[in-house]
Amino acid sequence: MNRDLITLLLSFAILVLVQVMVFNNVNIFGYINPMFYLLFLVIYRFDSDQTIFILISFILGFCIDFLSQSGGAHTIASLTVGFSRPLLIKYSFGLTSEIPSTFQNDSRRKNKFLFLCLLIGIHHLLYFIIVYFNWNASYLILKNVILTSVFSLILIALVSTFYKKLNDS
Amino acid sequence: MQRILNALVRFRNPVLYFFLLGISLLFLNGNSNFHKSQLEKYSLYFSESIYNVSNKIENYFNLKKINQKLLKENEVLKDLQLKSNRIPLYPNDLKIKRRFPFKVKAANVIKNSFLNQRNYIIIDKGYADGISKEMAVISDQGIIGIVKSVSKHYSSVISILNQDLKINIRLKNSSAFGTLSWKGINPNDFQVDDVVINSLILEGDTIVTGGMSSYFPLGIPLGKISSFESDNKSGYYKIEVMLFKDPSQVYYVYVIENKDIEDIKKLK
Repeated sequence: MNRDLITLLLSFAILVLVQVMVFNNVNIFGYINPMFYLLFLVIYRFDSDQTIFILISFILGFCIDFLSQSGGAHTIASLTVGFSRPLLIKYSFGLTSEIPSTFQNDSRRKNKFLFLCLLIGIHHLLYFIIVYFNWNASYLILKNVILTSVFSLILIALVSTFYKKLNDS
Repeated sequence: MQRILNALVRFRNPVLYFFLLGISLLFLNGNSNFHKSQLEKYSLYFSESIYNVSNKIENYFNLKKINQKLLKENEVLKDLQLKSNRIPLYPNDLKIKRRFPFKVKAANVIKNSFLNQRNYIIIDKGYADGISKEMAVISDQGIIGIVKSVSKHYSSVISILNQDLKINIRLKNSSAFGTLSWKGINPNDFQVDDVVINSLILEGDTIVTGGMSSYFPLGIPLGKISSFESDNKSGYYKIEVMLFKDPSQVYYVYVIENKDIEDIKKLK
C-alpha cells in the first residue's frame, strides 16, 4: 500500500513536471502540444474511492494550469474527465464483464484502446472549447482536438505499456 | 437534517464535482481577461432577457404613476409651448417683453359625451384645485372647450363638440381671422365662417386659435383646411376644417387660467 502511494506521488510529480517543462514546449507542426499528464488519470487504480479521485484530478489540472499559466482550462477538463471516468470504464470494458482493477493489468487491447480514445477525446474537446470559448472558432477547435488527441493517444498508449512492464518486474 | 446529510453523502461525487467546477470557473474568470469578457457576455445575454421580462411586468404596474408624472411634465411643457407660440406669428415679440397671463393645470377626463348636438365633458378638478368658471380647456393637440360649472372636485366643460360654442381662430400663414364651430355630425368635421374673401387661403393650411378671446391663448394648433369655397354674395369663404385630434377621444386635458380675465371684463 505504502509503496503504491509513493509510486503514485512520484508519478504525479514527474508527470506534472514533464508536461510543463517538456511537452508544453514541443510544438509539433508549430502548435500541437500533446497532453501527457493524462496518463495519471489512466493508470490510477480503477477500484479506488471515486471522491478522492475527483479531488486528485482537480489538483492535477490545477497544478498544470498553475505552472503553465493557462487560466482554468486544464482544471475543468481533467476534473470533468475524472468525474466521468467510472462511466467511461463501464462503457469501454462492458457493463456485465468484470472491470479490471488497474488499466495496466488488463489484457483486452480493444477495450483499453477505446477507453483511452474516449478519455483523451473528451478531455481535449473540453479543453479546446474552453480555451477558444467562441462558436466562431469551431473549425479551429475540431482541428486542434483531432490532431492533439492523436499525439496524446500515441504517447500515452506507449508509456502505459512501459508502466505495465515496470509493475510486472 | 439527517436526510439532507444522507443525500449529501450519497451524492458526494456529483456535489464535489460541481463544487470544484465552480472553483475552476472562478479561477478561469479571474485569470484570463478574454474568458472574463466572454463569460460576462453570456451572463449578460441571460440576465438581459430575465431583466427584460421583469422590467416589462414592473413597467406595467408603474404605468399609472408614470402617466401622472408625464402629465405633470406636460403641464410645464404646455405652458412653455403656449408662451412660445406667439413668436412665429409675431416675430417682433422677441424684442419686446410681454406679459403672459395664462397658467396651465392638468386634469383627467372622467366623462366625455360626443353623441349629442350639445356635448359636455366632466373633468376631475374643481375649485379646490383652482378651477373656476369660463376657463379654457385644451388637449395636447387642440382645444376641448370652456369650463361651464365647478364643484369642489369636479368641473363640467362645454365641449367643442357643441354647436353653441364659437371659437375665434386665425390662419397660421396668413393673418385672416374667422370663427370655428362644429357642424354637428362627425366629431372631426368643423367649419370656419367669417373669413373675408380677399384673404389668400389654400387647402391644407393650418388654423390656430386667434387670441382675440380672453379664454384661449394665441397659437394653439387646431386642424387643417380640408376644402373651401368662396361665396361671392356674402363676401366670406365657406371653409371645412379637419381637426388634428378627435375631441371625443381625449383622456388628459389642460385647463388654462387667464389671470387677466377680470381686467378684460371690466373694459367690456
